[in-house]
Amino acid sequence: MKRKSIPCLLLAAAVTVGTLTGCSANADSASTGASSTGASSAASSAATSDSAIQPCEVTFWHAMTGQQETTLTELTDQFNSENEYGITVTLVNQGSYDDLSTKLTANAAADTLPDLSQAYNSWLIPYLDKVVHLDDFVANDYDNYEDIMESYREETSQFGFINAMPFNKSTYVYFYNKTMFDELGLEAPQTWDDLLTIGKTFLEKKNMVSLGFDDMAGMLEATLRQNGCDYVSEEGALFDTDAGQQAIDFIMEMYNNGYARLVGEDGYFSGPFSNQLIPAYIGSSTGVSYITHDGWELGVAPLPGNTEKAANTAGTNIVMFSKDANQQKAAWEYLKFLTSTDATVKWAMDTGYLPVRTSAYESETYQNFMQSDATATASYAQADAFFSSPAFDGSYDIQNAVNSKLEELILNKADGATAMKELVDAVNGAL
Amino acid sequence: MQHNQTVARRLRGCKGYLYLAPSLIILLVFTVYPLIKAFAMSFCEDYSIIDGSFKGINLQNYQDLFADEVFLKALSNTTIYVVFVVPLSILLSLVLAVLIHNSLRGKALFQTLYFLPYVTSVIAIGIVWSWIFNSNYGLLNYFLSLFGIPAIPWLNDPHYALAALIIFSIWKSLAFNILIFLSGLASISQEIYQAARIDSTPRLRVFFKITVPQLRPIIVYAVLMGLINAFKVYNEVFSLFQSKAGPANSAITVVYYIYDKFYNSGDYGVASAAAVVLFVIILVLTMVQKSIAKEKEEA
Repeated sequence: MKRKSIPCLLLAAAVTVGTLTGCSANADSASTGASSTGASSAASSAATSDSAIQPCEVTFWHAMTGQQETTLTELTDQFNSENEYGITVTLVNQGSYDDLSTKLTANAAADTLPDLSQAYNSWLIPYLDKVVHLDDFVANDYDNYEDIMESYREETSQFGFINAMPFNKSTYVYFYNKTMFDELGLEAPQTWDDLLTIGKTFLEKKNMVSLGFDDMAGMLEATLRQNGCDYVSEEGALFDTDAGQQAIDFIMEMYNNGYARLVGEDGYFSGPFSNQLIPAYIGSSTGVSYITHDGWELGVAPLPGNTEKAANTAGTNIVMFSKDANQQKAAWEYLKFLTSTDATVKWAMDTGYLPVRTSAYESETYQNFMQSDATATASYAQADAFFSSPAFDGSYDIQNAVNSKLEELILNKADGATAMKELVDAVNGAL
Repeated sequence: MQHNQTVARRLRGCKGYLYLAPSLIILLVFTVYPLIKAFAMSFCEDYSIIDGSFKGINLQNYQDLFADEVFLKALSNTTIYVVFVVPLSILLSLVLAVLIHNSLRGKALFQTLYFLPYVTSVIAIGIVWSWIFNSNYGLLNYFLSLFGIPAIPWLNDPHYALAALIIFSIWKSLAFNILIFLSGLASISQEIYQAARIDSTPRLRVFFKITVPQLRPIIVYAVLMGLINAFKVYNEVFSLFQSKAGPANSAITVVYYIYDKFYNSGDYGVASAAAVVLFVIILVLTMVQKSIAKEKEEA
């Protein structure tokens, strides 16, 4: 009885496998059929040919919700109805950034990536060869690329080619409770010394911890850069220098003296900040939408510096994966539209993200907007100091290791020298 | 043609497997294939799921894995977690199930109340518990303060993070265990209890000499399921610490590590190796547990 059942089981397995291979074979032929007209590689030869764009559908994966999604839909509708080629951009919401990242990885493996997607550079590393190089498009068919903020251009060309167009950008700013600061005769800090003074004053007069950072690894990188020190590269830690030691001593001084605290169970500082449990914190400019200030005045300032100014930028860019030449050209039309001065101004004003072009900041509309928006003003004030963390194989592991090591050092009230040694080990060990 | 006829004859011979085919297909595609694939990937150095390329076939991933402090931490955390959660949960739920079973009034109400955690999303419960554990406003610290115990930073201090996770998980796993114990209790013949009552056997003796032995197969099942589930703990960590692994990674578990390595780091080989290690641990434990249960049955 047992013997007889084995071939039957094999047969069932064979049937299963047969169905599967049948399926994948069909899918293969369909996809080659579709892409046979276009470039099979990710090269951007499409940009140079000048045949008119055929009507087509372009899919754009994103992770925008609420007001951001509403504005993105409005802009996309506008593009769909106004473009002369009959291009229809279809927005597909993929959930959170984590969901989007996971789905992009899975679809890269299955070779079914969308035409366009929001993405951080660090996500792209495993499938960088599937990203369309945009250099030719930018060179031949783009309005004043130099107008795009310099740090964004640097970020989107860090792999040696233009891999994306900047989209929903933000920066870290210093949020503070102006009412409390006025009461104690304090002003927004401009230097590290100011931070120490503020910390001492709040601790002595109100018995309050006065500063928090939403992003610990980002805090370390910004602080190092504010002291003219590099952070990390593919080779490992670059901050084992005198300037680096000063920066780390400063960080540990802030925490060990009780001037700063970890976010812990609060998740983000916008909560305790709104409830006046902490008078200031450093976090993303888009975090302002989570701050409620009933009965007190909100102040926003650029990040303080030491020997230099340095402010983290965050937010994703839009990456192109289309293989077909016509699809690429159609997707490029949409990217041109979305990064145009008018569109980026509307996007920034409606969502709280930052414009991607200098001309957008200088436009009358946005200048008027900034007068009533302290976050936008503070963000623009530090635009020259923007930097982005480089992405490379292992950069996520470094960030992860630094976050957890910093928390540990702060909880253990480590001194500066120990902190330096353990952070360098954590970075180099993560690679 | 000849071949087709053979196939047709065989098909008639094992019609049963055709009926099984839909579930077999799903099982093969979503369980067996990934299992084999994970095994294979774990031996490929620098495996890329994008193009399937790798540097070589060796044990590099396992070497990296056991050299990684975070993984060792995850392994020890998971072990501590299992050691506390499984026995405590079984014990508590057994006692509660007997109490519910013996209470005359409000049986249905208690049954529903205890089962609620099982049908509620872990993420939602996790958020509620993260407030219960809150160091400033949390209910738990409030109760402790009634006994003069100072506020404990459950979720902020690495020393308490794992304890918080264990408390939360015991509470959460009660639901399923109580349910199966209740159904087990209902199937015990009342005559045995009546006989015990005639002899006026003390209640504790009834519990240990009648209830527990009669429930033995169900307890074995609950321990087995509890062990397997406890080793796979992930959702509880994710929801309690708001998508982190606790302060300074202090509550990281093996499955959390696997997820992080696979999706965030892109170390597919190391993630697979960790999954294989977890698989082997669970397999061994299950086999040991089953053989113990069998021995007892035969004895």
